[in-house]
Amino acid sequence: MGAIERNNVHVRGTGGQSMVFAHGFGCDQNMWRFVEPAFVSEFKTVCFDHVGAGGSDLKAYDKEKYSSLAGYADDVVEIGRELGLADAVFVGHSVSSMIGALAAQKAPGMFGKLVMIGPSPRYVDDGDYFGGFTEGQIGELLQFLDSNHMGWSVQMAPAIMGNPDRPELGQELTNSFCRTDPDIAKAFARVTFMSDNRADLAKLDVPTLILQCSDDIIASRPVGEFVNRTIRNSEIVFLKATGHCPNLSAPDEVVAAMRTFV
Amino acid sequence: MTDPRIDDFEDMFENAPCAYITLLPNGRIERVNKTLLGWIGHTAEHMVGKRFSDFLNMAGRIYFETHIAPLLRMQGFYDEFAIDMVTAAGGPLQMIANAREGRDAAGGALFTRLALIKATDRRRYEHELLQARDVAKTNLESERETSELREQFIAVLGHDLRNPLASISAGARILGRDAKSDKEHQVIAMLETTVLRMAGLIDNVLDFARGRLGGGITLDRNSRRPLEPVLHQVIDELRLSSPGRRIEAEYAIDVPVDCDRSRIGQLVSNLVGNALSHGASNEPVRVRAATEDGLFRLSVANSGEPIPEAAMGRLFEPFFRGEVRASRQGLGLGLHIAAQIAKAHDGTLDVSSTSEETRFTFSMPLR
Repeated sequence: MGAIERNNVHVRGTGGQSMVFAHGFGCDQNMWRFVEPAFVSEFKTVCFDHVGAGGSDLKAYDKEKYSSLAGYADDVVEIGRELGLADAVFVGHSVSSMIGALAAQKAPGMFGKLVMIGPSPRYVDDGDYFGGFTEGQIGELLQFLDSNHMGWSVQMAPAIMGNPDRPELGQELTNSFCRTDPDIAKAFARVTFMSDNRADLAKLDVPTLILQCSDDIIASRPVGEFVNRTIRNSEIVFLKATGHCPNLSAPDEVVAAMRTFV
Repeated sequence: MTDPRIDDFEDMFENAPCAYITLLPNGRIERVNKTLLGWIGHTAEHMVGKRFSDFLNMAGRIYFETHIAPLLRMQGFYDEFAIDMVTAAGGPLQMIANAREGRDAAGGALFTRLALIKATDRRRYEHELLQARDVAKTNLESERETSELREQFIAVLGHDLRNPLASISAGARILGRDAKSDKEHQVIAMLETTVLRMAGLIDNVLDFARGRLGGGITLDRNSRRPLEPVLHQVIDELRLSSPGRRIEAEYAIDVPVDCDRSRIGQLVSNLVGNALSHGASNEPVRVRAATEDGLFRLSVANSGEPIPEAAMGRLFEPFFRGEVRASRQGLGLGLHIAAQIAKAHDGTLDVSSTSEETRFTFSMPLR
């Protein structure tokens, strides 16, 4: 099985340049539903699910490989190679911002521009560095994920995705989007929140746009500003949008900022 | 005269048996009901205008931002999620909640309503279940490792036992060529008998270990070659190894039997060996092999004490050993392996035992 099937890749649009959308922890490619359509007339858009999320192949989950963000970045590079991407735009939400930064360094020339929405290179505080969380709080999160049942019937998701003309099928299920295998979700949470990619950002020289929300407790303003200072060829745009998912809560603002950049 | 509060919607909201919270699209609290204020210990003035996240524990905040908020935007609702608030005193307020998003005509978010129910007990129960699951998983894994090691050990042991046995057998044959005295012949015959019995025991041990290791009993079926000569040979060997005992055999095999002939030989050897050990020594063991009624039937019968009622249910379990004199004591695998061979042939192995006769019957369908 190739990366296209494994990562449930969907390609739309006919533009000469490609734009790859990578979802963050807790969701799947559905989270681009208000942003991706805005670019489909000018770009070839590529949406996919990380292994363990959405319609990806759960059998492809390999504990060892996905014990660091590098494993996820390898998948992005494989997808890029299979699609023959060059000089593409990579749009990463949350943890996928770092996955994009790693992928851009693994495959020089594949990505010509990066868009990072709510990025954080390290969530746990470290000396002078402010990440916003203590290690204990992340441990609390991992324990908490055990008591949330979302995704326990993950195999139902593709059935719904395969019937877009029958939305009533979706109504029978409690939560039909962003289902993840609970064990994989927990492992992904650990990898995400324990990662430290500060040194990788310093090596990055791809032009990068950082979209920083107001009032984002996952990736707060000082973290966004750190990312901006660390990536030498980067600019930061402060959004009015609140929370951690402006691609869902304020898609117009996100699209406008991206257009100016690309 | 009905109480006016029955139809009072304000009262229904404020004093509902669940907590209500209304959020603005920016995640800030617009309204809370009295039930929540009673549970959490804050005033409405303190809560309204603050972020909902401000009243969650850190795990709840992350979960809210990464799961609940995005799902509400995508599907407009999110049901049955666990969320932990923090009381004014700093204690946990564990809840289960449903959320609905109010939208304008264009699908934009206007507000979010949450209904929350206390779930302290339920959460404790879930926690216990999770712990029990983890313990069970750990135990299962260590059990599996131990049993795998044990069975691999048996398999290796069985294999290593065969080599010296082959040497003894070859040595006995060489000596047999030059044997002169009756005593020498007797000792060599005894050696060969012992080697045969030992080889049978090792076969059973290996089959048992293989079965447990997941390979199961494998068959090499062949209906073109006749079965009867194989049965003859096995029974002749058993006669040689049990001088003084009678084994009566009767054959009525009229059609080809699609079976693994050496496995059926092993089955007969195990059953007859069992009958010789447990049956009355002054009465014959009776073997009958026949094709009839669309079945291949093979029965082995002996006289003597019937099998005790209590033992009947466990006869085919591995390592089950009945009362028998020590010299004939086996491993307790013979009947178990025989039953496995029967099963591999889509057949059955049944037993009946009365004061007149104990009879094991193997039946398999003719195809």
